Amino acid sequence: MDHKILLVDDDRDLLEMLCSIFRRAGYAELLTASSGGEALRIWREQNPDLLILDVRMPGMDGFAVLREIRRVSRVPVLMLTARGEAEDRVAGLELGADDYLSKPFLPKELLLRVRAILHRAYPEPNRRVELAASTVDLEKAEVCRGGERIPLTAKELQLLEKLYENAGRIVTTGALCSAVCGEFWQGYESTLSTHIRHLREKIEANPSRPVSLVTAKGLGYRLNLKGAKP
Amino acid sequence: MNPVRRFFRRYIFSTIGILALFFLVNLLLILSLLISGCMSGAQGGLSVQALSGHVTRQNGVWTADGAAVSLLRENEAWAMLLNESGTVVWEQDLPQELPRAYTSAQVASFSRWYLQDYPVKVWAREDGGLMVVGFAPGSWVKYYFSMETPALLRLLAGAVVVFAFNLLLMVFLMLRNTRRVEKAMSPLLQGIQDLGRGRHRALEEKGELAEISAGLNRAGDYLLQKDNTRAEWIRGVSHDIRTPLSMVLGYASQLEDDSALPPEARRQAGMIRRQGERLRALVEDLNLTTRLEYALTPLRREKTDLVEIGRQAVSGVLNGGLPQQYELEFSEEHPGRAAQLSGDPALLRRMLDNLIRNSMVHNPQGCRISVTVSAGDGQAACTVADDGGGMEAAACEAMNQRQDVFPLRGSAGGGEHGMGLRLVRQIAQAHGGTVRFEPAEPHGLRVKITFPTGGAA
Repeated sequence: MDHKILLVDDDRDLLEMLCSIFRRAGYAELLTASSGGEALRIWREQNPDLLILDVRMPGMDGFAVLREIRRVSRVPVLMLTARGEAEDRVAGLELGADDYLSKPFLPKELLLRVRAILHRAYPEPNRRVELAASTVDLEKAEVCRGGERIPLTAKELQLLEKLYENAGRIVTTGALCSAVCGEFWQGYESTLSTHIRHLREKIEANPSRPVSLVTAKGLGYRLNLKGAKP
Repeated sequence: MNPVRRFFRRYIFSTIGILALFFLVNLLLILSLLISGCMSGAQGGLSVQALSGHVTRQNGVWTADGAAVSLLRENEAWAMLLNESGTVVWEQDLPQELPRAYTSAQVASFSRWYLQDYPVKVWAREDGGLMVVGFAPGSWVKYYFSMETPALLRLLAGAVVVFAFNLLLMVFLMLRNTRRVEKAMSPLLQGIQDLGRGRHRALEEKGELAEISAGLNRAGDYLLQKDNTRAEWIRGVSHDIRTPLSMVLGYASQLEDDSALPPEARRQAGMIRRQGERLRALVEDLNLTTRLEYALTPLRREKTDLVEIGRQAVSGVLNGGLPQQYELEFSEEHPGRAAQLSGDPALLRRMLDNLIRNSMVHNPQGCRISVTVSAGDGQAACTVADDGGGMEAAACEAMNQRQDVFPLRGSAGGGEHGMGLRLVRQIAQAHGGTVRFEPAEPHGLRVKITFPTGGAA
């Protein structure tokens, strides 16, 4: 994982902990700043791939830093706040933050979000999803199963990407529908199950007994990567 | 009915009752006065007819017996008897200045009015004579009344109309007065009631009761200020606790996952992490319940599908890693039917999270939790049921009876988990919904939350 991450928080203890979380997760290039001004300076000099930005800081706060950055750059930013309030969240997202996490948080919550942001912002050139019976090339939108190459439709690809982003986790029917057709997905459920059936026919060895794209009864679906427990 | 309106309605009825009583008592008094007047008049009057019986003609001479004379003396009266031609044929104490013979015109005049200021009474005898009794001037009032019958009837009817008009006017003025007092008092009384419920709306400080309105406003502001201070304090504390708690959770998680540490140390770190998460849930509940209670942030209502909210809540718990001893499942009562309502998805999700967490916290030995969403008949409902220890029927009923939210501490809410359930009820109420607790079969607790969907379903 060669992404450069800039961590910004006025609390040095918290900054140290953030470093330790990311270092253990395999992120080697970590930069830190303990004020808004310093953050902007380092961002300009070092050009990081992602910023973790605390909202409440003395002097220039996180929103101001974000506003300044967004004038010229689309660099991914995750806002961190000690206030769980909805206005803060909306304000941050409106200013162009990619995600928002309120303190206190668990390291795995933070890492999950950071991974999702990085996935979206820097798609791997050769994104291949290794499944039990097949390999999916997300770039070429095709499935490779037993030497056979099967193309994916645009909708199937969108579904697989959403499931891959949350691999190993249940993705609800509503979340999958909205990934394919946006906010107004009501009534799309039956079409979704058709897409899922087609996907299984392409990626599973036995589509009637799926092991990679499994149903979470009543909830949605889960994508199991190769080697993960079913 | 509104107690203020009830009070004024009672006041009006009692005033009308007082008026009716007033008229009745007056009527009785006047009647008794009239009756006593008639009685005394009948007793004290000198009967001309009786006197006439005592005056007889014997051998061509008119004489009166002693009784006649004494009757006249008692009443300080005089008497004379006129024959058919108007000449006085008998007299007793007849004043000197009065004539001794009268024309028929004079007779007609004095029998109705006065004889030279003397009030007189007359009696026509059977023998054609006229007995006349006179009294001292000023001792009697003679009043002659005559009227055409239709005019008399009109007069009587007029009197009744005037009386009725007066009555109506009185009632109207009374009602108007009451209405004015009610108008002035109602906002004050309403303000006092609102204050009792912990709400306050500023009253207009004008009119005669301006000072009282101002007093109420001051009391309201004071309460509000105290409330705000409390809310601010809670917000401050919950804000300040977030960063330290992040560190506790962060390092505890790292230690828990550190394969270089002995298993016992990792298990202990896991315990710190779990307790930290409970603390986090508590802080978030506290913050949210304060926000809802003081309406610090309005609901972010949008078209929301309760089915999807249920899926997200259950998936969230499952994705977070459900401890082995629990089972969690989600189902729709009518699969495929959307349960749409206008609501705040984050809050609704939180409500379900809290209910699931409540089942888990109350059943540490493990249980099976089922979340069900149903829709229809203009309402959407979600039910969270477990097959754990549950709650006694009486305790459920006590929870259902409470219309207000639960107290932070109290027997019904049950210690530390009271706030989670309090929040459930607050969120349900903010969406116009109701919460119902009931024992599940054969054991366990079932909590059903019902929302009106209006036309959205």
